[in-house]
Amino acid sequence: MYNKELYSKKSDGNLPQLVIAENENLQSRFVVQKILELREQGIPLEEMAVLFRSSFLSFDLEIELTKANIPFVKFGGFKFIETSHVKDMIAYLRVLENPRDVVAWNRILLLIDGVGPRTAEKVIEDILKKRVATTGNGTEAVTTKFWMDYNAYPENVQKVFSMLGAVAKPTVAPAEKTYHILQYYEPILRARYDDHSKRKKDLEMFQNITERYNDVGTLLTDLALEPPNESVSDIESPGKEEEFLTLSTIHSAKGLEWNAVFVLYALEGRFPTSRAASSDDEMEEERRLMYVACTRAKEHLFITYPINIYDRESGIILSKPSRFIAGIEGKLLEPWVIE
Amino acid sequence: MFLPFFSILAYLLNGDNHKMKKFTLKPLPHDNLHLVHPQRFTIDYKNDLNPAQYEAVTSVNGPHLIIAGAGTGKTRTVVYRVAYLVELGVKPEHILLLTFTRKAAQDMLRRAALLLDTRCEQVAGGTFHSFANNILRKYATLIGFETNFTILDQGDAEDVINLLRMRLKYDTKEKRFPRKEALYDLYSRSLNTVTPMNQILAYDYPHYLELEEDIKKVHAAYVSYKKQHNLMDYDDLLFNLGELLRKNEAIRATLSDRYKYIMVDEYQDTNKIQAEIVKLLALKHDNIMVVGDDAQSIYSFRGSTIKNILDFPKEFSNCKIVKLEENFRSTQPILNLANEILKRGAPVK
Repeated sequence: MYNKELYSKKSDGNLPQLVIAENENLQSRFVVQKILELREQGIPLEEMAVLFRSSFLSFDLEIELTKANIPFVKFGGFKFIETSHVKDMIAYLRVLENPRDVVAWNRILLLIDGVGPRTAEKVIEDILKKRVATTGNGTEAVTTKFWMDYNAYPENVQKVFSMLGAVAKPTVAPAEKTYHILQYYEPILRARYDDHSKRKKDLEMFQNITERYNDVGTLLTDLALEPPNESVSDIESPGKEEEFLTLSTIHSAKGLEWNAVFVLYALEGRFPTSRAASSDDEMEEERRLMYVACTRAKEHLFITYPINIYDRESGIILSKPSRFIAGIEGKLLEPWVIE
Repeated sequence: MFLPFFSILAYLLNGDNHKMKKFTLKPLPHDNLHLVHPQRFTIDYKNDLNPAQYEAVTSVNGPHLIIAGAGTGKTRTVVYRVAYLVELGVKPEHILLLTFTRKAAQDMLRRAALLLDTRCEQVAGGTFHSFANNILRKYATLIGFETNFTILDQGDAEDVINLLRMRLKYDTKEKRFPRKEALYDLYSRSLNTVTPMNQILAYDYPHYLELEEDIKKVHAAYVSYKKQHNLMDYDDLLFNLGELLRKNEAIRATLSDRYKYIMVDEYQDTNKIQAEIVKLLALKHDNIMVVGDDAQSIYSFRGSTIKNILDFPKEFSNCKIVKLEENFRSTQPILNLANEILKRGAPVK
């Protein structure tokens, strides 16, 4: 590397802050609160950005931003619920919540090996005519009945009925439902996507999110509530002077700047990614990513990380701060804990 | 400028050839650029730029490496250098500016035109890919393509790969074979990083390693299909330009003569083929300025390599390095942290 020391004539300013959160959701809620606070102080949303190492790391925050009605635009990667594998997961939960959801049924059936559009149509017809008509939506008893007597369906369709039927009761927590769905879905994921290991990370994140919910209905509502900037035509329609917060992977933030910047998940195993541990070159590139992220900020810089994250892939609890910021003196990076 | 004409006239008129000085013409060397005296420059470079930027902007001949830290006015420096070269008398079409995105080149040249005048818009600017396309439209026949070749975007390329995958009967249900997206990714990265396919397979797609031979067969089919149908994908543009320059000395000399001053932005995120193209183009004059920040090299997953910027002084031995370190974006406390993060990394090379 070339030796280099950046300096500025703006000698004063706030110290960058390192914020430790007890869990992922607390991290998201802290960021939301801080964004609202900064906006109160007169910094417009356009002058703020939340940056992260990998696209899936913003999923939890996206839900909190939506709840808080903070419009955002995401750069780099897909939005969480637009990714097809997450859509698949949501489809299973949707039919558990509303057995009449034919759109979700169609998706679920077409994922099954050997089921084409015509079989799917037949099964859906049967679901609507026999099951929904005779059992309806409602009490636990009828819900249970809905999921019985499926032996007339093709074998692979029976499997999905038996899996869903086993977790259909409202007393089964969303996280447990999701767990069983994932077990069922994993072979499908492997068969459909060559990059399944990357996508599995998304689904693990999805599983983590479901753990915060007591019922599937609320979970689905939170996921479905999209910010108003969904379609491009909305953004471009004249007269709409909406301001937006930027969510971006660090790669997509190259060359850009904002007054206030948040860097999420400064956590060993997330940033740097666990993958980088096997190579010194990759680890140094992760360090440069942290450098790029920090140098996007003009005045306010917050680096955050949650602790006690269970990483399903490795079976390890992640709780160590990123090596790039661990042990940096308080006079350079002020440590805070969220109370 | 009328003097020689009148002198000749006087000579013809009075017929006295003993008293006249005899005029001879000699060619103007192309590096003798000071046709405009610095005092006559329309732009006050010294006043508009800080000392490091000024040094970078006014460095003209020979190889230069500009290490531009984050927020240090890199774009401004490139814009001013384009204007400076034009003011010095370099013909705009002799300047080549290669950037990371097309928009970056357009913005820089537009800014240079606003700063100086519309001559700056005549500068040849664009991405490596658009530059390669322009050159290949002229010389593609020399490497076995027609000049009216079609460019395949990523989606098109994947569709062709899929077609061949099916034609070669690798789409059967019994055996799992990588899909078109994975194949495209594999072929592309192998080419851009100059890495053997089995190495990438072992790292990113270990479950397909046993299919290496079949995967290579599809690749060979893809290569010949493109040639047969006069198609190039994005990677081919770079690769074929490299081929053209490597194998054809006359073309290399012609291009090196045309692009007498070459500038490359974001050099830290260039790949091996791009660095080779730069070297081949600069071969005749070494008037090459690359701008970038090794500390911001973050695109290795797409095939770029930090080695290009680190090894530049080795590749161009008499290279001059200018560092831009004054940051105009952030407060000092933020920079202190950023500096510290870098310092704790691998030792400075």
